[in-house]
Amino acid sequence: MTCFGMKKKNEFSLFNMDERNRLVAYRIIAIMYFSTITAITGIVLYRQFGLHQEIEQFEDLAIIMTVNSLFLISALLFFGAIPFQKIRIRTILLGYLVFVILGCLFTYFKYNVFQEPGLSWTEFFDKMIIVASVTGLMVVFFILMQSLGKWKADREIID
Amino acid sequence: MGYSQQDLADLVGVTRQTIGLIEKERYNPTLLLCVKIARVLEKTLNDLFWDEKEK
Repeated sequence: MTCFGMKKKNEFSLFNMDERNRLVAYRIIAIMYFSTITAITGIVLYRQFGLHQEIEQFEDLAIIMTVNSLFLISALLFFGAIPFQKIRIRTILLGYLVFVILGCLFTYFKYNVFQEPGLSWTEFFDKMIIVASVTGLMVVFFILMQSLGKWKADREIID
Repeated sequence: MGYSQQDLADLVGVTRQTIGLIEKERYNPTLLLCVKIARVLEKTLNDLFWDEKEK
C-alpha cells in the first residue's frame, strides 16, 4: 500500500514511539526549551543589570541565547511554522522597525539608565548605527530562510 | 469486530493506550492513522469517525 505513504509493516520509531507518544514528547520538549531559554534570559539580564557584571562574565550565556534565538526563528520560517503567504515589504519594514526599536531601548537602558555616566548623543548614535546594521542583516537572513522554505515546500508539492 | 485494543494497536503500529484514547475521544489521530485503522477493520472513514450527532 502506498496511499498516504503507508507501508504494510508496522512502523515503530526510536523507543517504539507512536504518533501520540511523539506528539506528547514534542510538546514537553517545546515547553522545556521555552522554559530554559526564558531562564537563561532572566539570568543574563540579572547578571547585567542586577549584579552589574562585565559582559565577559556572562558572554557564553549571551552567545548561546543569541545563536539559539537566530536558529529558532530561522527554523520556524524555513519549515513553515510562521504562515507568511507572501513576503510583504510593509511586514518586513515593520519587523525591522520593531527589532531596531527594541535594540535602541536595550542600548539606552544599558548605558544611560543602569550605568553612570551615560552615553552622549554622538556615542548613542554610533551604537544605533551598529544596531540598525546588525538588525538589517538579521532581517535579510530571515527573509532568505523564509524564501528557501517556501521554495522547498512548493517543490515538494510539484514532486 | 473481533479485535482487542492490543490487536488493533499491533496491526496499525501504535500503542494500546493510543487506541484507547482514540476510542475515548481524548486523542485526535492523524489522517494517516485513521486510514490505517479503517483498512485493518475493513471499514470506511465515515463508518469509524463520522459522528451523526455532531452534524
